[in-house]
Amino acid sequence: MKTKQGISRLLEIAGERKGLLLLSGFLAVISAAFFLVPYAGAYFILAELLRHWNNLQSMDNTSIIRWGIYILLSLGGGMFFLYVSSMASHVAAFRILYGLRIRLIDHIGKLHLGYLTSTSTGSIKKTLEQNVEKIELFIAHQIPDFVNVVATVIIMFFIMFSMNVWMTLASLGAVVLGFALQASMTYGSKGKAMMKAYYDSLERINASAIQYVRGMPAVKIFGRTVFSFRRFHRDIQEYRTMVTKFTDQFQNGFVLFRTILASSITFVLPVGVLLLSRDPENTSLGLTVLFFIIMAPGASAPLYKIMYLAATLKDIQEGVSRIDAILRQPPVQEPLRSRKPASYEVTFDHVSFSYHTPESPHQIPALSDVSFEAPQGAITALVGPSGSGKSTAANLIPRFWDVNEGAIRIGGVDIRDMSTENLMNTVSFVFQDTFLFYDSLYENIRVGRPEASKEEVYAAARAAQCHEFISRLPHGYDTLIGEGGVYLSGGEEQRVSVARAILKNSPILVLDEATAYADPENEHHMQQALRELIRNKTVIVIAHRLHSIRKARNIVVLSEGRVAEEGNHETLLLRKGLYTKMWEIYNDTAAWAFRKGEDVA
Amino acid sequence: MKFLQNITAGNPRKLFKPFVLTVISNLLNILPFGLVLRGVYLIFEGFSRPETTLDIRGLWWVCAALVAYMVVIFLGEIPAYRACYRGAYEVAAEGRIHLAEHLRKLPLGFLMKRDPGDLANMMMGDFALLEQGISHVAPQIAGALVAPLLAVLGLSFLDWRMALAMFLPLPLGMVILGGTGGIMKLLGHRHMKAKIDAANRLQEYLNGIRVVKAYNLVGPRFERLQKAFYRFMKESIRIEGLGGAMVIPAIAFIRTGLTVSILAGSYLLLGGKLDPFVFVTFLIVGSRIFDPLTSALISFVLLRYFELAGERILALESEPVMTGTQKAPQKSDISFENISFSYQDAPALRHVSLHIPQGSLTALVGPSGSGKSTLLKLIPRFYDPQEGKILLGGENIRQMEPEKLLQRISMVFQEVYLFQDTLENNIRFGREDATSEEIREAARKACCHEFIDKLPRGYDTLVGEGGCTLSGGEKQRISIARAFLKNAPVVLLDEATASLDPENELQVQRAIDSLIQGRTVVVVAHRLKTIRRADNIVVLEKGRLLEQGRHDELLKLQGRYAGLWSIQQQSAGWSLAC
Repeated sequence: MKTKQGISRLLEIAGERKGLLLLSGFLAVISAAFFLVPYAGAYFILAELLRHWNNLQSMDNTSIIRWGIYILLSLGGGMFFLYVSSMASHVAAFRILYGLRIRLIDHIGKLHLGYLTSTSTGSIKKTLEQNVEKIELFIAHQIPDFVNVVATVIIMFFIMFSMNVWMTLASLGAVVLGFALQASMTYGSKGKAMMKAYYDSLERINASAIQYVRGMPAVKIFGRTVFSFRRFHRDIQEYRTMVTKFTDQFQNGFVLFRTILASSITFVLPVGVLLLSRDPENTSLGLTVLFFIIMAPGASAPLYKIMYLAATLKDIQEGVSRIDAILRQPPVQEPLRSRKPASYEVTFDHVSFSYHTPESPHQIPALSDVSFEAPQGAITALVGPSGSGKSTAANLIPRFWDVNEGAIRIGGVDIRDMSTENLMNTVSFVFQDTFLFYDSLYENIRVGRPEASKEEVYAAARAAQCHEFISRLPHGYDTLIGEGGVYLSGGEEQRVSVARAILKNSPILVLDEATAYADPENEHHMQQALRELIRNKTVIVIAHRLHSIRKARNIVVLSEGRVAEEGNHETLLLRKGLYTKMWEIYNDTAAWAFRKGEDVA
Repeated sequence: MKFLQNITAGNPRKLFKPFVLTVISNLLNILPFGLVLRGVYLIFEGFSRPETTLDIRGLWWVCAALVAYMVVIFLGEIPAYRACYRGAYEVAAEGRIHLAEHLRKLPLGFLMKRDPGDLANMMMGDFALLEQGISHVAPQIAGALVAPLLAVLGLSFLDWRMALAMFLPLPLGMVILGGTGGIMKLLGHRHMKAKIDAANRLQEYLNGIRVVKAYNLVGPRFERLQKAFYRFMKESIRIEGLGGAMVIPAIAFIRTGLTVSILAGSYLLLGGKLDPFVFVTFLIVGSRIFDPLTSALISFVLLRYFELAGERILALESEPVMTGTQKAPQKSDISFENISFSYQDAPALRHVSLHIPQGSLTALVGPSGSGKSTLLKLIPRFYDPQEGKILLGGENIRQMEPEKLLQRISMVFQEVYLFQDTLENNIRFGREDATSEEIREAARKACCHEFIDKLPRGYDTLVGEGGCTLSGGEKQRISIARAFLKNAPVVLLDEATASLDPENELQVQRAIDSLIQGRTVVVVAHRLKTIRRADNIVVLEKGRLLEQGRHDELLKLQGRYAGLWSIQQQSAGWSLAC
């Protein structure tokens, strides 16, 4: 992976659009040269005046007018080239930003799910939005500005040197001093530590804001005022204290830098006066001093443009390191050559797995030495108390995580030897937490197989018992889901996700049974939808309601990550083991009803 | 004025101090300019006439004054620097708190409809823009305008004809820029929209990552995000390109003042109608005055963009908040009197009247879309109904302070939000001043003590964003524990026993059993079996109350309820089979 850091990493990013940026830099140089003409013009006019001071009426004013016109033309030319240069750099920048974002979302999509559950989506979002956006500043502004400034300074000093070395050195001294100050401020160890603290605090308050907004309904329900909602308020204040400290830290250096840049004449004039005092009759020396008085601010004025360079560069680099931290996360390993299974039974072969995240270093074994087979075309149910590992087992099949030991095979092929695309095409999933996109219902179903025809989408919707309720919606299949559209009931959402899976029609189905959300009619519909979905498929179902899987070919009972029992309903009941106990509890809960007063035992 | 309101999120007074101090510091910067002119004058004096000699002493004095003055500039800028940043951080901090406070008072229904990513972005990103606007951009404008303004004044006294020539293009250029403001604002809106859209799609991608992965939609194949990023890129380029195309000619036009004055000056000089040194002054001022002016104008355009952020914040802050000042009564019977309610244009409830006696158990049933959940949500004032009134203990809940009302109500809903905090603090959310002992007691009653105790760090276990590390049943029991702690007389339940494994479900059922004793309970039921012992079963369909009564009464009625009951009996025996 990438090991480059800091500026070289930024330049590497910028290098993706080398052509445009070189063009932009080239034009920036031209524009810089044009913008120096007014200063030169002012000097030449002054020289002309000084020469004819006693006899102005006799002066030939064509040269003054000529300079006036030159100034005007150079202004137009400078502005034009500046515009084109800035456009070139902006187009380059925004294209690079776009590419970077696409790469990031692509990469995030290829990571294990563990990364997303252990990292708050707020900070990932911030990286993708703000940290990426800041690179624009570097590419579109700082590179051309830097080129412009360097060109201005070089041209200027070249001219200055040809006129007087000592005064040139004096004005150069001011520039060097100013930048030395900047550099020592931001690149000193104290500055670096401050920067880090600043970013950490920014990240904290971002996460805090997201939590505040997302948790608002809960906050309201419990009648907590914003002030007692300690965390957010405290974080805002803490952040404010932090940034105030942060800017105080840079105060003296920054203000001094500005003062020096604003005082370029103060550096030049004494040298000039010193030279004049030795040779007070030398008119051309006097003119040179005048030249420096006029030019000196011209040399330092552009430096204002890159005044924030050092500080913002640091800012951008921090952001880039956060981007790179995401890109460095190892993705799910893709096989060199994807193998296609010939049959569709699913085998767990001595699978062990534990979740480990940077946050919880102690490993909690979720599955240990689990082996079972889900035969092709039949239903296999995973049951067990919560925490038994049944959901984990299901999450390993789409490689949301990879097994630590053992292997999961489809038709004898290790799923790690199948490309993700191939694996996902072979297996479909119906999760408990359905997720619909902010899009039309039609598109939400079509996700199942993007190349499906209209008829196929409708057929899937019909099979999943969605057609009827969709037809009743104001815009039918074109009805938008979410803000500005409709919100579906839990049962309807589930059926839409079943429709997706039906459309996808893959030979293996992993089903996290969730049919109980629905009201009686919904439940009825859902059952019909599922019946359609599981037809002729290898089904692995994570069951919560035992009666719905009592006809399964194979029931795998998990307990604390191990296979406790296995068999069909009848054989398991005969064993009088864990399954029997669960069955009894299940029958108790099924008979439960809300009741009050004397009814309660 | 509105502009100042926007840019400070409604707090323009905060700009005053930074402005004044920046102006002062820029005023201080003008004196060296005079000194430089003095130096130039001395040099001219020395060389222009053969009879005079160069006043080296005078020049040394000028140098000394300039060097000494650096200290003044330095000291003058420090207060400006401090005031700008402090002002900016203050506006942002206070604004954020104010917005957070306002969000709290908005109807829950409004909050649940808004995209949380959007709101969070407003809270952070928009205020960050304002921060930047106040700390850098606005004072920079104020400061950069001081010198040119004074120059205009001073030069007019010196020679009004020359001043006119130099600054004539200025107001014209400003007018051009002002005219482009409207177009820029329009572009800014489009740009902002594209940005928000990209942010929302990104949030969707991250939240729905399991579906995204399962359907091979990773990365660029997730088209709507890719397109949103693409549109955002295009809008960014467009705003930059068109913005520049309007601003740069305007600036170039303003800067022609130097040329115009040179032409005018040389004409006047030849006619002997101008003191040559006045011309020199104009020349030197003219070569330097336009840089700050230009940067001020560019900053102004930038500020116009930041203004949109402020506008968005102020728009949200003008959303009407929930009103009501009275306390909630002790009694807890609930009456719906001819309630009608619609979401925007979609009617959800029509003329519903219903009485819920204190201490009773009332169940709301009906197909999805029947309005049963809406009816439940009207009790805690997630929304206020458009017609009719709801009485709690005989008093209209509209007149009650929303928080006081909510203190009387516990809600156990399907979705449980856990904060990124310890389990103990998450339960404490039910009642802030609860002791550790009370929390454990509530946890015991809610059947969560056992599983919490088994965790390696017990009650100190941190739960993640959205509480993703606990199972659904565990989360539900945490929310029941909160309700125990809160001990409110009214309990609203959205039957949430779905999809739990039997053991978990048993625990949740036990917890609910003990929670609902002695309280007024309203439950939205999905499984009819669980509510067959309710005191009153209310059947809703398409927003109307269809029938109500006890289980056996409704069965006898042979209506909608009886129909639902028989469907449910059929599905109960169902089993997955190939």
